[in-house]
Amino acid sequence: MLTLPHRPLRIAAAIALAAGIAILIVLVLWAILAAATGSEGSASRIDIPHLLRMTSIQAGLTTVLSIAVGMALAWALNRLRFPGRDLVVGLFASAIVTPGMVVAFGLLSIWGRNGWINQASEALFGFSIGNPAFGLSGILFAHVVLDGAFAARIMLARLDAIPTPRLKTGQSLGLTPWQRFAIIDWPSLRGTVPGLAAIIFLLAFTSFPIVLMLGGGPANQTLEVAIYAAVRQDFDLAGAVRLAATQIAVCSLVILAASALAPIPTSFGASTAPRWRDRGLARLLQMLVLMLCTIGFVLPLLSVLIDGLGAGIGRVVAQPAFWWATTSSLVIGTASALLTLLLALALALGRGATGNGLLRTLLGMPAFAYLAVPAVVLSLGFFLLVRQLGFAPATAAPFVVILANSLLALPFAMATLGPPLEAIARSRGKLIRSLGLSGWRQFTLVEYPLLGRDIGVMLALAFCFSLGDLGVIALFGTQDFQTLPLMMFRALGSYRGNDAAAIAAILLVGTIVAFVGLPRLFERIADAAR
Amino acid sequence: MVKSTRLALAVLAGLVAAPAFAEEVPILKIYTYDGFAAEWGPGPGIKAGFEAICGGCVVEWIAADSSIGTLRRVQLEGETTEADIIVGLDTAIAGEARATGLFADHGLDLSGLKLPEPWTDAQFVPFDYAHFAFVYDTDTVATPPKSFEELIALPDDFKIVVQDPRSATPGLGLVLWIAGAYGDRAPEIWAGLKPHILTVTREWSESYNLFLEGEADMALSYSTSPAYHIIAEGDDTIHAAMFDEGHLAQTEVAGILKSSDKQELAKQFLAYLASVDGQKVIPSTNWMFPVIDLGADIDPAFATLPQPEKTLVLSDEEIAANSQRWIDEMLAAVQ
Repeated sequence: MLTLPHRPLRIAAAIALAAGIAILIVLVLWAILAAATGSEGSASRIDIPHLLRMTSIQAGLTTVLSIAVGMALAWALNRLRFPGRDLVVGLFASAIVTPGMVVAFGLLSIWGRNGWINQASEALFGFSIGNPAFGLSGILFAHVVLDGAFAARIMLARLDAIPTPRLKTGQSLGLTPWQRFAIIDWPSLRGTVPGLAAIIFLLAFTSFPIVLMLGGGPANQTLEVAIYAAVRQDFDLAGAVRLAATQIAVCSLVILAASALAPIPTSFGASTAPRWRDRGLARLLQMLVLMLCTIGFVLPLLSVLIDGLGAGIGRVVAQPAFWWATTSSLVIGTASALLTLLLALALALGRGATGNGLLRTLLGMPAFAYLAVPAVVLSLGFFLLVRQLGFAPATAAPFVVILANSLLALPFAMATLGPPLEAIARSRGKLIRSLGLSGWRQFTLVEYPLLGRDIGVMLALAFCFSLGDLGVIALFGTQDFQTLPLMMFRALGSYRGNDAAAIAAILLVGTIVAFVGLPRLFERIADAAR
Repeated sequence: MVKSTRLALAVLAGLVAAPAFAEEVPILKIYTYDGFAAEWGPGPGIKAGFEAICGGCVVEWIAADSSIGTLRRVQLEGETTEADIIVGLDTAIAGEARATGLFADHGLDLSGLKLPEPWTDAQFVPFDYAHFAFVYDTDTVATPPKSFEELIALPDDFKIVVQDPRSATPGLGLVLWIAGAYGDRAPEIWAGLKPHILTVTREWSESYNLFLEGEADMALSYSTSPAYHIIAEGDDTIHAAMFDEGHLAQTEVAGILKSSDKQELAKQFLAYLASVDGQKVIPSTNWMFPVIDLGADIDPAFATLPQPEKTLVLSDEEIAANSQRWIDEMLAAVQ
């Protein structure tokens, strides 16, 4: 710990930011409670323990499966080279930022009653495999597609960054594939697991449309559904705040566990080692993992592309509204991504600069806790806060969206940037101290050049996340303010399924381009800085 | 302190904004759901039509994500709301809306309307309606069930998709429909439907698309849904199944806020909305039946749609007193 450079400013900035986010969450809940005093809601009729139990089981299974699948996939992708590999990596990564509904419909067009697999099976063998895509298994499947692929992308970045000397040493020692994983890969992956697990658990815990649509009925529900009903249908605001607080409290236990773990050094920078293939069974296993994941993950997305890039696309592209929505999405996405980068750097640099476990935990928690605040509560709370402050909701809407998007993307950004930043602070701390570098020069000379690719991944994540979920301004009265995802949902809600499919495909292409392009671009920029 | 700050800000904003509105054109601010205000929805046509006859006014749509969202927003804003009118509440929440005391009497003579039931509401003016119904595709379902009991008697692999009554209007409509048709036997009907329910979605759009993708044989939607496929896609294979028990109608309504200082203009707007000119906009933009007889002015696809033999009616009071219990019973039965 002595080797950490002394950086009080970084720590102070991180403390201020973490406190700001915590205060914002409290304000949102407080604004709703204040509004609730006027309205008497009906007594809550929700079996909270039951919902908590169901949701925790679902979220826990999702987390374990996603991490396991993600790790296997990252391992396979790190070893195998094939034409179109970058595209496949981009497709995997884009699952998490694609609206959940799109992924769910993609899954159904492969695995559903009328999906490709059933159609093929009926044509070839004359029987149907039934409909495996509904129920708890359906929820888990969809979540693992979304979250497992995300975990794989983050872990692949760590594996790709394993330093050349370590790989060369390993190769010359003749490590078996298993030894190689245990001795070389696992230490670099370990650091990402707590953050990823926390994020995936929170996403699954608060998942709403997927759980409802694929769950097959109210038996498989999350607390989030109950909170939505309390806010919208029952208008029981005090009850909604109570439920939201329950959700935040439960999620906080998971967040606490993840943030309290001691930082684990990981790899950073890009590996330049010549390829080192595994042989024999391991290689077969890698191919099998890749093939299964491609069928499971890539086919659904491919079906989205095929459905959408057909005849309907001309009509969509011909609408001026489409171009306005595209512009709004790009502006919002860019602004949110940059803000996310700033926030994530402030928090991650601050956390990396302190060796105090309690402080590290406190700095990490608020950013994650924001993910646990139900979307419908956020939209109500922000609406009330903006009114309290005396702003016209429609005017404030774009700023609220950018802020809300950045805060939602922040945990993902921290999971991407946190582990390599920690590692840099610890492995280069002595050097930085002995050179007497200032904090700014430490960033520009040491951290930034080593982080280029990770910053690209993070920006792509935050950008795609922020292309336009406008749930947070649901009440703001902004019908002219339209983004691509919103346009898609509106089309879906007014019989225009073809338009929706076309927009979904365009969105997907955009996210793939972002995920393939941005990491490369930033690696190049950072290399130039080096 | 806060108040004076806000006053100062308002004055400042007023100084900046004043020159732009020197002409003082009255602006009618209308809360609605976003599908109504969308460029393909009725909003633009209604706005243009009313502005042409109001003698110098501007209609401004302010859209929330859902009709219940508009009601919740005025409830939160109370007397300070900027809305003059809400367009798009439906009969299932009209009672709750009325109970807020925020709505004024419309004072219009609506005796000339053509609805399944005579209209007597003093606060709300209807502007379109349709019956809740299950839709099916004639390519895959040759003989649709003619009642809930026939549906229940079908093999379990005959699947339907419905919506959660806590988040989607049609989902709530189905709960009320079954309660209206079967009374105390409703839980039994729900239990019978359970094996047929593929899933319960959050929104109408999700279940409808599951149906269109062939994942389910029928989806809970509206008796007017087939009109979209006929008119916009030239596809006449989507039909609404008519049930012998009778159907519940969803009637969409508009109401004037008491707090509005443009009561007369607002009344004029509601009268326009229910007039021939206003109603002509509705069917092929909102895919619902008009509330007056449009004669030759309606697309024949609507005129030929089957109408249920019987319309079930539930009063505001019945809905307000029982809907929570009915929802709980439904959730317990399909759990």
